[in-house]
Amino acid sequence: METIRNYLENMFLGLPLTDDIIAAKEELLGMMEDKYQELKNEGKTENEAIGIVISEFGNLDELAETLGIKATVKQKTELPIVSYERAEQYIEEARAVAPKTALGVWLCIMSPTVLLTLLGLYGIKLISVREDFLVAIGLICIIVFVAIAVSIFIRYSGKLDEYEDLQEIAFKLDYKTEQMVSEVWAQEKPNYSSAVSSSVIAYIISGLPVIVSPLLIENEGIPVLAVVVTLTIVAFATYNLISKGGVNEACKVLLQVEDYEIKKKSNKTYKVVSQVYWLLAVAIYLGYSFITNNWHISWIIWPVAGVLFGAIKIIILR
Amino acid sequence: MISSDVIRGYNDTMILYLLFHKPSYGYEISKQIRIMTDEKYVIKETTLYSAFKRLEANGLIDSFAGTKTNGKPRTYYRITDDGRKYYKEKCDEWKVTQEVVEKFILKENEDGNN
Repeated sequence: METIRNYLENMFLGLPLTDDIIAAKEELLGMMEDKYQELKNEGKTENEAIGIVISEFGNLDELAETLGIKATVKQKTELPIVSYERAEQYIEEARAVAPKTALGVWLCIMSPTVLLTLLGLYGIKLISVREDFLVAIGLICIIVFVAIAVSIFIRYSGKLDEYEDLQEIAFKLDYKTEQMVSEVWAQEKPNYSSAVSSSVIAYIISGLPVIVSPLLIENEGIPVLAVVVTLTIVAFATYNLISKGGVNEACKVLLQVEDYEIKKKSNKTYKVVSQVYWLLAVAIYLGYSFITNNWHISWIIWPVAGVLFGAIKIIILR
Repeated sequence: MISSDVIRGYNDTMILYLLFHKPSYGYEISKQIRIMTDEKYVIKETTLYSAFKRLEANGLIDSFAGTKTNGKPRTYYRITDDGRKYYKEKCDEWKVTQEVVEKFILKENEDGNN
């Protein structure tokens, strides 16, 4: 039965969903179902029944005139079709890549924490090594973390490159593929929604340690350690968000829903600007911190850069 | 099996005949056609549907929603007065057509090779 529905849906693929067409599809399906049922009752096998129903269906050209879709029937094949296999692969790649990307971002956010922890502990006199020695260890950690993150980005970002065209051109899915993607999306959506809400809560809470700790204890080291807590919360919240978001995003691209249209238009500019922007942010962060040695405060550049990026994104995509 | 091109002009006649005494729906009509012609003519779903729509647009039949046994909606068709008139015209037309074409068909005993 599902085969018959698929067959019919494929025949109607790409046609505008006018009332006439929906009605035609429904009535034709009804006729086919009736015939199928009767053939089954006569003792035909599933395959025989489907074969007969499909062979006796006729063709859409005949309907085109009656439904006033002649022009559409002719040109409907022009949009490229994304195959079931490709859609499936894209979702699988997205599923595989997202945690890796998330790990890379996690490493970037966590990179200054070793340095900050050491300085914090030094500040509250828990360790009494020379300060520049601690800074050296901390900086090495930053470099190592970022280096691993960059290698992850380079290794995995390419995996999704071959699917980039899906975000830039209009295409269509056949009925079976669309069903599959919708099902995956329906499964994934609640996970993603809960990841978004828990991450948002985490982001809001993340500011608390920095605000509250100086009020409780007056000590040079405590605010720095509070920053470590903040960064850690942010890092995990972001990890959660990105790793759960991969499949969700892929499904949205495949189903061509929500912000897909916007992306299509300015994907290129957006990409260039965002790359330059974040590299610049890293340069400013490292430059400022090294020159002034204000590591305990320079992290502020990240939340500021994040919010600012949101604004820039809106301007580019408008 | 008869090719659909040959019989095209008479699909309307068949449908109107089957609706003449009582309303009916898509599958029922296609089944009747198959049975009455001893499976020599099987009407395609798309042919039948476009015939319905054409007849409906010309006011020869009209449609109404009925329900089928499992509760799913099903469209029924019913002949109109215009449809009855048209059907009679088509019958007359066929008689003449048959007469005309018949003149050009070799009879068994006229066939040189019998």
